[in-house]
Amino acid sequence: MTPKKRYKSARVKLIRADAQNGVYGPAVARPRALLRRFSRERHDLIWATVFLLPAMVAILSTRVWPTVGAISSSLHTGFPGGVREPVFSWFDNYVRLFENPAFIEMIVRTIAFNLVINPLQIAIALVVSLAMTRTIPFRGLWRTLVFIPATVPIVGSSIAWGVGLRSDGPVNAVISALGGTPQPFFTSPAQALASIILVATWIGVGYWMLFLIAGIEAIPKEYYEAAKIDRAGPIRTFFSITVPQLKRPLLFVLVACTVANFVLFVPIQLITNGGPQSSTTLLMFDAYRTTFGYGSRNLGAAEVVILTSIMLLFVALQFFLLREDREPKGGPR
Amino acid sequence: MKSIKRSAIAIFVVAAIFATVGCAAASNDVDSNPADSGADATATWSIPDADPVATITLLGLPDLIDGNMQPVLDAFAEAHPNITVVYQNVPFDALNAAIDAGVSAKNGTPDVYWADMPRIAALSARGYTTDLTKQFASYRDAWDDASYEGASVGDTLQGVPIANSSQILYYNKDLLDSAGVDYPSNDPNSRITWEGIKQNSKTLVADGAKNGIVFGQVDRYYQLQALPVSLGGSPGATGEGNLKPDITSEPWVKSMDFYGSLFAEGLSPRGITPEQNDQEFLDGNTAYYVQGPWFLPALNSSTINWGVALHPYFADGVPVTATGSWALAMNPFSQNKEATAIFMKWMSVDEGAGYIKYRPDAELPANKAGKDFYYAKDIFKSDEGGKAAKIIGFETGNTAVNRLSTVGYVEFESIVNRAFADIRNGTDARTALEAASTELETAWQTYK
Repeated sequence: MTPKKRYKSARVKLIRADAQNGVYGPAVARPRALLRRFSRERHDLIWATVFLLPAMVAILSTRVWPTVGAISSSLHTGFPGGVREPVFSWFDNYVRLFENPAFIEMIVRTIAFNLVINPLQIAIALVVSLAMTRTIPFRGLWRTLVFIPATVPIVGSSIAWGVGLRSDGPVNAVISALGGTPQPFFTSPAQALASIILVATWIGVGYWMLFLIAGIEAIPKEYYEAAKIDRAGPIRTFFSITVPQLKRPLLFVLVACTVANFVLFVPIQLITNGGPQSSTTLLMFDAYRTTFGYGSRNLGAAEVVILTSIMLLFVALQFFLLREDREPKGGPR
Repeated sequence: MKSIKRSAIAIFVVAAIFATVGCAAASNDVDSNPADSGADATATWSIPDADPVATITLLGLPDLIDGNMQPVLDAFAEAHPNITVVYQNVPFDALNAAIDAGVSAKNGTPDVYWADMPRIAALSARGYTTDLTKQFASYRDAWDDASYEGASVGDTLQGVPIANSSQILYYNKDLLDSAGVDYPSNDPNSRITWEGIKQNSKTLVADGAKNGIVFGQVDRYYQLQALPVSLGGSPGATGEGNLKPDITSEPWVKSMDFYGSLFAEGLSPRGITPEQNDQEFLDGNTAYYVQGPWFLPALNSSTINWGVALHPYFADGVPVTATGSWALAMNPFSQNKEATAIFMKWMSVDEGAGYIKYRPDAELPANKAGKDFYYAKDIFKSDEGGKAAKIIGFETGNTAVNRLSTVGYVEFESIVNRAFADIRNGTDARTALEAASTELETAWQTYK
């Protein structure tokens, strides 16, 4: 060992000894702090797990597992019914579905239905919410009246509308009394889906209105006062103050409304049964009919997976379009 | 804070979407096969002489109170106090989905369920029925042949027939009198034609009747099969296993054109469901009404001035009437097969069929001995009731045609019924039937 090397070795030993004796303060404090932080984080992690566990178990068992089950089932084919064992068959069900022109038509119909009903429901809910947040007489009464349809079980409202829009029903009686031509509504391929939209909108508007009213009332009054001082008109105020400030409740309502309408089922099952001429056969209804009506679970599962994928795509798009503007990084605070 | 809210929204969305998938996949358990779960068709069990203590679940159609099912269950409870029957009632349109969901859950509930006879082949192929041939061999002669065959698949008995059915043309005497239209005949040699019904309906509607002719089972294959078959059409399918759609033939198109024309010309009401039709007749709105004998009690307790006649036929065709009815099928996963079989035997065999004997409604028995007390029921004591009894006897023996027998019946009925609905709503008959035929071919790929 050369003198230089010996010196280096002695120096290293010294540093190590000093470190053990606490000479180099910061170098020693760092591992201890880390240790404390780890310990605290582990402690937090344990408690977080304890609190989250019931929710996680519930989500895994009632949501994730059935989803995995549906995807797995969609990759099998077998005899209809739930008793006989199906066999793994890759994408046979999907091929069969997409080879069927009626299925493609149904997907187009489902998407078109949602492109109409969701903006329509939300636009009406927004207009009604704006009216209901103004100072008008009997405001509570009006709000209650608009909300009532949401409290009636959907089965009841569907039956009532089914009778109401019958060819000899009260709506046509009113139309005739006013000198109009009675309409076929649910019995015409051209009007049936529009009539379903009417029923679903009647039910949905009051419900979505509640969230929007809460959102509108949470907008600070100062913004409106400032807009008034700047002499902004009601339309400018609506688009520059109300809409941007409502982004969060709007996103929620839009997403929830889209999900609700993609899985709309009861009015179709009760009133039109998918007809006339399949004009009201939407994907959710057909998935139900295939699964429980015909007992073709695997094919039905494939339809559900397709429905879920389309729905997720729509929701992702909505999140993207209504995303919050990020504050610029490093800008003045 | 913002990101927490965003996460909350995202979680809500994902949960809602998974809920959709979850609902559809919930009963998607395909892990076990029937043999593992006690559904072994070869399992040996028999109908015991002494009642076991058991609780069984029955999934049935008639309402306990309105459908008079309570007296039937009470009578069974008295005869077999050790066996408790839990009754689950579902409406007609929900029955098949309920059977499917119940049996495929493989937990043995319901133990026994209402099975439409033409569906027995499909239910059996799905593994939803229990082979009862051996256990019920000694009761073979209790039922009329057509009913036994209706509840059988090949040589095996897959359900016990509890009822049969027929069709009657009811009419409102006051409306016919007012329009000066003759009553339709009860004589098989001068049976009224569909053409005659349509012609008279025009007169009746012009005279102020709200509905000329109403089909009680509007849009349902059960009742409408009689139209194409009257003109010489097939029951709806041909070929091996009756899996080749045959609903676009001339008799089908012609008869369905006729069906559609009744609605297009305002002789039959559009948009009224089968559940509302009885009431329309009872309210005095309908002149002619085709319905089963089960409508008789409601008529008897009404103030309507009603009459009965033979079911119409096409002038160029032959008289044909709907028949077939309900059987009870046993869940192969039932944990109480013995007790369930005792109940099934009581409903269909004992005392000439307990179901027929104790249910005041006029359901036609499948049991031969049951016919004696069936025709002795109060509903047949009036003049018109007596005529109805004769009509039922004649039609079941001479003009009754069974529904299509195929393993693909579930899809067939659903698709054809929708085509009927489209035709009622104004779609051209050929267009609707061709579309239905294509849909059927796609649906029946499963069985080929």
